[in-house]
Amino acid sequence: MVLEIKNVSKNFGGIHALRNVSFSIKQGEIYGLIGPNGAGKTTMFNLITNIFEPSSGEIVFNDENITGLKSHKITEKGICRTYQNIRLFSQMSALKNVMVGGHSRSSSGVFSSVFRTKAQRKEEQELEKNAEELLKLVGLFENKDLLAENLAYGQQRRLEIARALASKPKLLLLDEPAAGMNEKETDSLYDLIKIIQSKGITVLIIEHDMPLVMKLCDRIAVLNFGEKLAEGTPYEIQNNEAVIEAYLGKEEEEEIA
Amino acid sequence: MLDFINPYYLQIGSFILINILLAVSVYVPLSSGQLSLGSAGFMGVGAYTSALLTINFDLPIMVGVVGGACVAGILGIIIGIPSLRLTGVYLAIATLGLGEVIRVIFVNWDSVTKGSIGLTGIPQIGRELLNLVRGFGFEPSMIGLKNNQFVFLMVFLLLFIIVMATIWFVVRQQNSRVGRSFSSIQMDEKAAESMGINITYFKVLSFAQGAFLAGLAGSLFAHVMGYISPSDFSYHRAVEILIFTVFGGSEVIIGSIFGAIFLTLIPEVLRFVSEYRYIIYGIMLVILMAVRPQGILDIHLLSRVKGLKRSKGGMR
Repeated sequence: MVLEIKNVSKNFGGIHALRNVSFSIKQGEIYGLIGPNGAGKTTMFNLITNIFEPSSGEIVFNDENITGLKSHKITEKGICRTYQNIRLFSQMSALKNVMVGGHSRSSSGVFSSVFRTKAQRKEEQELEKNAEELLKLVGLFENKDLLAENLAYGQQRRLEIARALASKPKLLLLDEPAAGMNEKETDSLYDLIKIIQSKGITVLIIEHDMPLVMKLCDRIAVLNFGEKLAEGTPYEIQNNEAVIEAYLGKEEEEEIA
Repeated sequence: MLDFINPYYLQIGSFILINILLAVSVYVPLSSGQLSLGSAGFMGVGAYTSALLTINFDLPIMVGVVGGACVAGILGIIIGIPSLRLTGVYLAIATLGLGEVIRVIFVNWDSVTKGSIGLTGIPQIGRELLNLVRGFGFEPSMIGLKNNQFVFLMVFLLLFIIVMATIWFVVRQQNSRVGRSFSSIQMDEKAAESMGINITYFKVLSFAQGAFLAGLAGSLFAHVMGYISPSDFSYHRAVEILIFTVFGGSEVIIGSIFGAIFLTLIPEVLRFVSEYRYIIYGIMLVILMAVRPQGILDIHLLSRVKGLKRSKGGMR
């Protein structure tokens, strides 16, 4: 198991954002996290990357308990994420954004940076080369010198993925990567995530675009009001009554009858 | 001969150089998103430390200057850690308060700092340098300079070298992993942290570097002037330093440098209108903030200038 979520709960004041949620993700799979708005999906991401600490429960990554570890340490361990509302470094070029992503895989400090030691120059070259390759992968190489804020919306989303990949994650968390994308962009996003999977990276994805989720994911967990409603393959989820009810509501006839 | 080496101009030049250091000391923490108004306080710490070391313990000026800068830098680390929780205006107010606390200590710690009268008889860099070269059997008159011309010239050159080294350091750092970390924290702290950047470390680092530079500027100031008093490091100074950076453009280091040069020169250039000059200075600031809040120089302007150069190059 790459990631094990064990009985995780999170309360904000009196509100139970997540209640006793457990699931685990296998190496190399694409795992979907779906559910209506406010179900606690993004909260789950924030707990995994420790933007908040869980109120109770454990998060285990590659057999190591990472609950409460500082965010930047978690990135070093190999978990990196994107954001639902894009959070790029807007005044930096696309290339630099991706190079920042490589921060945890490089080590130059003040001294070696100022004096441009041999090791530092080599590291910078490698960071840049790696960043350029990732930009090619997401199809932004031609735009590498543009400021992130000047990229089109769909490009910004892809840049965020490239930036996260630069940290060489073992587990990539994608928070609604297809939001606001048109059909064509969504198709190329599908291809991109499949390529990421083929590189041996495990993917946990939050997404509202159901056709994409069903096509993409190996397994899916459904959250509703902070609780896990169901878990299984896309086929199982599509035919799960509780899930259908949560999404579509109970059928009127049944209520009356 | 060599009359153009005018002590008055050289003195202004030296003040400009010290002010550039101070402006950069605001720019560096700002490059990681921290608005510090503590520069005047850190400057005072550097100045007093260096002055007291050289007066009371007869240490060489160089030791005093390095010591002053380091003490200010260490104070920067000590203040920087609890200040991490503060951002924006709140950090500005806290650091402004810090500066005032430091100034009040200088005023009241009579036995050491001589209170509000300040310290006099601080060894001066220029004279020391003159004595040094005389030790080698060199006299300013040998190159046709009067003694005071030589002294001011040496001070100016020494400060020039220090400022150039500082700018070199900051620019190199800016174009590296460390500089990228600073700017990513400035642009989006949360995202920077998710990218594996230890924001605690880098924020304290940039804050302490700013404090160190302000301390360096302060200790040089003490040894250029020869006397210091708490009023040299009051909140007026803090605001003045901030204005250098804001006026010139706080996004780019060249902005701070430009601001320091321009705003140090303006009161001198406007001497002919004597009592009106600070009114003009004030009006200029008001207009600038209304028309160009990001300061005279910013990234877009610089990239346009660069683009212009490139296209001209293509024409040839």
